[in-house]
This record gives sequence, C-alpha cells and structure tokens, in this order.
Amino acid sequence: MDHGNRDGRGAGRRQFLMVLAAAGAALTPAALWAQARSGAGAAPPGLMPSQRALLDRVCDLTIPDSDTPGALAAGVPAFVALALAHGLDGAGAPVPATRFTGGAGPDGATVLDWLRFELDLKTGGAFLTAAPAAQVQALAALDGAAYAPGGPPGGDPSPWRVLKGLIVTGYYTSEAGASRELQYELVPGHWDADVPVGPHARAWSSDWTAVDFG
Amino acid sequence: MSAEFDAIVVGSGISGGWAAKELSEKGLKVLMIERGRMIEHGSGYVTETLAPWEMPFRGEGDAALYARDFAVQSKNRHFTEFTQNHFVNDRDNPYSVAEGTEFNWWRGYQVGGRSLTWGRQSYRMSDYDFGANKKDGHGSDWPIRYADLAPWYDHVERFIGVSGQAEGVASLPDGIYQPPMALNVLERYAKGIIEQRWPDRRLTIGRTANLTQEKEGRSACQYRSICARGCSYGAYFSTQSSTLPAARKTGNLTLITDTVVERVDYDAATRRATGVSVLNVKTGERRRHTARIVFLNAGAFNTNHLLLRSRSDAFPTGLGNSSGLLGTHIMDHATTVGAVALFDRFQDRTTFGNRPTGIVIPRFRNLDRQEGDFLRGYSFQGGALRSTWTRAKREAGVGADFKAAMRGPGGWRMVLVSFAESLPRPTNRLTLDPIKTDATGAPLLKIDFSHGENERKALADAGREASAMLSAAGGKVVLSLDRPGAGGSAIHEMGGAMMGDNPRTSVTNRWNQLHDVPNVFVSDGAAMASSACQNPSLTYMALTARACDAAARLLREAKI
Repeated sequence: MDHGNRDGRGAGRRQFLMVLAAAGAALTPAALWAQARSGAGAAPPGLMPSQRALLDRVCDLTIPDSDTPGALAAGVPAFVALALAHGLDGAGAPVPATRFTGGAGPDGATVLDWLRFELDLKTGGAFLTAAPAAQVQALAALDGAAYAPGGPPGGDPSPWRVLKGLIVTGYYTSEAGASRELQYELVPGHWDADVPVGPHARAWSSDWTAVDFG
Repeated sequence: MSAEFDAIVVGSGISGGWAAKELSEKGLKVLMIERGRMIEHGSGYVTETLAPWEMPFRGEGDAALYARDFAVQSKNRHFTEFTQNHFVNDRDNPYSVAEGTEFNWWRGYQVGGRSLTWGRQSYRMSDYDFGANKKDGHGSDWPIRYADLAPWYDHVERFIGVSGQAEGVASLPDGIYQPPMALNVLERYAKGIIEQRWPDRRLTIGRTANLTQEKEGRSACQYRSICARGCSYGAYFSTQSSTLPAARKTGNLTLITDTVVERVDYDAATRRATGVSVLNVKTGERRRHTARIVFLNAGAFNTNHLLLRSRSDAFPTGLGNSSGLLGTHIMDHATTVGAVALFDRFQDRTTFGNRPTGIVIPRFRNLDRQEGDFLRGYSFQGGALRSTWTRAKREAGVGADFKAAMRGPGGWRMVLVSFAESLPRPTNRLTLDPIKTDATGAPLLKIDFSHGENERKALADAGREASAMLSAAGGKVVLSLDRPGAGGSAIHEMGGAMMGDNPRTSVTNRWNQLHDVPNVFVSDGAAMASSACQNPSLTYMALTARACDAAARLLREAKI
C-alpha cells in the first residue's frame, strides 16, 4: 500500500508540474499556495469576500437563471456557507493534500480552498477574472472528472461532489427551486396511483420518499 | 392502606396509551407517567406545515449539533430537522454497549413516545410465528397462539384504523381493514410478474395505520407523508390522535409528564408491587405513587432497565428475575437493502400525492417445509417511485442543460428492504452497566446484541430473491446487500421479559404478568418471546388490550 501511495503521489506531482508548465511561466506553485492559503483557516460561518465571490460564481454557473431563478438568485451561497460551517454531509472535513492536483495541498485546506486552487489552475491562475467561457469550461472539466466512470482517482469522491451536493440541496430546497423550478405541494389531499406525465412535467420537491430514496 | 390509583401505567407510547385507554374505560383510576414533555395533539406539532426554506437548515438539520447531541438518533431515516424534536438527545440520555458491538437505540421521550414517529405498518403474527420457538427450540415457547390474540387484533384494528388489503396469506393473517391505498403503476406491474412466476408469493400494499376513511373525529389521510412531524388531521394512529383522547374522555386518567420512574416498589410481605418511585426531572423532586396494579410500557428496553433497577432483598438481580432470564433473549430484525433496481418501463406514467405506506411481500420461506440453510424467514417492504431532485447530487453536469435535465421526474426505481427474523438467544442481553451512570446517578443500560449466522444466511437468501424478483419484472438491479445493519436498525428492539408458561424459563406469563409479581404487567415489546419478521407494534397493542382485560378481571375477582 505504501508503495502504491508513493507512486500515486509521484504521478500526481509530475502531472502537477506539467499543468503548471502548460499554464505559463507566470504561474508558480508559491503563488497558487498563497492564493489557496488566503482562505484557509477562516473562522466559520462567515466566508472571506474572495471565498464568497468564488462561491457566488460557481453557484451561478452550476444552476444558472433560466425561466426560473438560478442558484445565485435563490440565495444558495448563503446556505452553502452555513452548511460548510456546520459540516453538512461531511463538508467540514479538511481536504487531504493528495486531493489537490499535484498532490500537495496546504494543511487544513477547506473545500473552497481546494476549489479555488483547482479552478485557478484550469484558468491560468485567476478563475474569477477569467472570461465566462473559460470559467464554464473549467467547471465543466472539474465536474466531468469528479463524475468520471470508474470513480475518481484515489478512491474518495472528489470534494466537488460534496460541494455540488450542497449547491443542489440548497437550490431545490429554496422557495424558487422547490416551488417554481420544481413543484411543491404540502397537502396533496388525494393519492393518484397512475397519471400521465405531461410534456412539461416538473418533478415534485415535496415527494419526501423520492427525496430520501430517489 | 388504600392506594392512590387503581393502576399506574409507565410510559405513554404505543402500548402505554393503549393500557391507559383500556384500563380507564374499564372504570379504573389510572395514573400514566411519561418521562418526557407534553406534546399536545395539533398545537404541539411545531414543524408540521413548514416548508424546507422556512427551516434554518432547509430540513437537513444542523450537522454540528447532530454530531454532538444526536449521534445515534441522527442515523435514523425519519430523523430530520422537521422531526428532531421527537427524538431523544443522545448526550443527555446515554446507554452503553458491549465491547465490539454496536446498537442503534432510537428513542422518543415525550408524550406519545415513538407513536409519533413510528412507521405505522400494522401486521398480525401467525401461528407460524407463535409456534416457531417450540418447533426449533430457540427461546421459550409462546404461551399463546394466534386464536388467543385474534380477537384482540380485531379490537385494536377497529379502534386505530388500518388500511390494507385482505389477501388470505397464511403467514400474514388478514385483519379488519379500511380500503387499501392503491399500488402505483410499476408496483402493480411487478406484482403481476412476481405472482405469476412465484405462485407462493404475494405483493400487497403495506397495511398501515393511516386512515383512508374518516373515523371518530379523525380525518382521512391527506397524502402528505410527513407523519413523523405529527399530524393535526389525526390521520395516523398515535397516542395523541387516538388512545389519549379516549382515555381522557373517561375522566379516569391522570397524566403526569417530565417524570422518570426510577423503580417499581415491592412489598415482600404481600409479594406485590405497591407502586413506583419517581423523579421529576424538572424540579428534582422524588416521591412515590401507589396503585393496585402496575403496567410497564416504557418501551421494551426501558422496561427491562426499570425491572433491572428495581432490586430488593427479595429480588437482588431485578424485579421478577427469579428465573435469571430477565434481560436475555433480546431481539430486533436483521434488515438491509435486499435490492434496488432501475426500470425503463412506464416513463410516461407517474403518481400524484405522497402515499404514506409502501408495499409488502410477506414471508414465503420455511413455512410448511424447510428450504435453504436457515431457520424461519424474512419479508420485504419497499415500493416503486420516480426519482426527484436528489438525483442531481449523483449526476454529472453543470449549467443550463443540467438544470433542464433535472426539471422533470427522474426514472422509476423499485426498492425491496429485507427484514429477517431475529432468533431469541440467551447471549443477546441487557444488563446494568457496572460502572457508568447517568446524570441522576442511575446505572446505564448496557446492550450486548449481535446478529447471528442464521440472520446473515436469511439476508443472503433475501438479497438473491429480491434481485431475482426485480429482475423478472424488468428491472436492472444496481444494489443488493446481504449484511445486516447494526442492532436496533429495524427499530424493532424487543424481548428481555419473554412470555411463557414456565416460570423457570420465562419472565412473564400468558397474561403478561410477571411470574413472580402478579400485579405487575409487562405488555410492551419486552414481553415478546420471538420476533417474527413483521413489524411488531400491532402485536404489542393487542397484547396490551388483552392484558388489560385480564387485569381488570383479576382485580374484580380479587386475585391480584
């Protein structure tokens, strides 16, 4: 097992260096760590402005406005911040260094530290100031890797799955997400065991059994 | 010396409420003692109508608080931010477990107890169950058979209201039912396939204590399926909706709350219990209450705890423990996910409303002939549903396309959860922890429970059969488990004061009296001699009603 781990870290480090090289000479590991650390250790539940800006942008990209409000408009970042502060779904646990591309993250890194590092890496160093298309591409790449068939490298689920789970939960339990994007009915009043699905059917956010088992 | 009350009932949950109702309706002056707080029907259900976005943590709850104060309770599927007030604080209510074992003891200390949060599945036991101990030699032979309890099942079902379908299945006797809730389109289809391929199996709607017709001031179900928050419609059976109003109506009930019973008081001269010693947890005051009879309905394990704590010179190891068997042969059901399957069929069909029950496939193994390498049997509960937003946590994608893809109903899936009978074993037992105590100085209850090889074999068979049935119905099985969860996971913990005719091999007799102390009745799950594989609460209610009838008769005849 020890050999396996060392090999894994070695491969990760080589990959890390290649990515850095590809990203351009201006980007140094020291600069990235400095950025990552700027958010580490922040006292919950308040997020630092840079963390909040990142979370706002990522929520907006994950579930954007359409004919209904998206995650940002629905106030999801505040829920995610609360959930992170209280460790919902294991989100409070530090992200191990091996989860960072390159295999060597800072001690006690939070999910948002990790996210920022990975997205900055994919956008040449500054995700928040990158062009919208580049942001979308970076997040889609992160998401694709996190949900790749065969599981993520390293075994543990990607921290992105945890964070996306919180964004999704925050959105579909918000009033806009639960009752406008989906349908919400507290008192259905009757049970119909077999009805047709209409062409524009929306799922029920108030189907509690489906929420649990679906 | 004349007693304060005719009867004291310890506990106000499913069986305690029944004891209070039956005894008070027979004209007895009853004191019901609840350790937790009052929750009034309707006004006490503080989260009942709230939406997720009206909750501080959107219904998901405060994970940090749960880790600190609800470490065990929060593992329960019915424990949410909406229902957390109906579960105990684990930090304030500790128990211990034997080294190397695990036990999830899910509890609700409040008026109504777990009747507020129970799963409402209401099944009769059959003679396969009442005869099981005698047949294979595990545990103590039940002193009663189905015919003894059948009229009491009738009595209970008539009062609480159970909706379901009579099926004529020998392993799950029919009762008196309100009209059943309908199977959904996929369940109905699966039923057809399964019953054709396996003629000895039956898929039927879960028999549930949710009303489909109005009943005595209680409304029919509104199909919200948020029962565990409390239902101000009174559409499911709870102490609050049913037995407490009936008991109050007699004028014979006194209910005190926030009061822990610390011991059953015993008079060695008369060989009778004289009442109970209690602690008011709010004021710290200790006092005694006296009565001619005492009913123990504290919840199976707490009833054992109370008896074990009620030590005296006459009963140095616990009241009623001349057999040495008090606390032994405890059971649960061994449960796990038999199979989950995804279905392509019926994508153009869905359901409306939230049905508060699933389906059941009654026991079909080892009935009239022995099959396979395990004793007794198992049954399945589950159902079919279309996924909703929680699938978005599992699926790849971000952005407008992802949002659009998550808008409609998700695919159909069907779940079968296995419940295997737990054999009564002397080594699975409750004792008083020799060292650890709670804040009041009481020794903790120590739980030593493990599932055995028989349960593991039964669940392995159940996993294979669940997969085979869902596959036959056209499903793609994506998960099938065969290892039981930790003890307690079925929330059917029971036993420890098992019924039997022989005082040397059992703790309670055929009328739920302690063999040693005939004016003490144990009629909650503690009295169970075997577990069967169906949900036990209806049996506790029927045993309680029957025991109350016997108690009133024995009092009239001055025999206790």
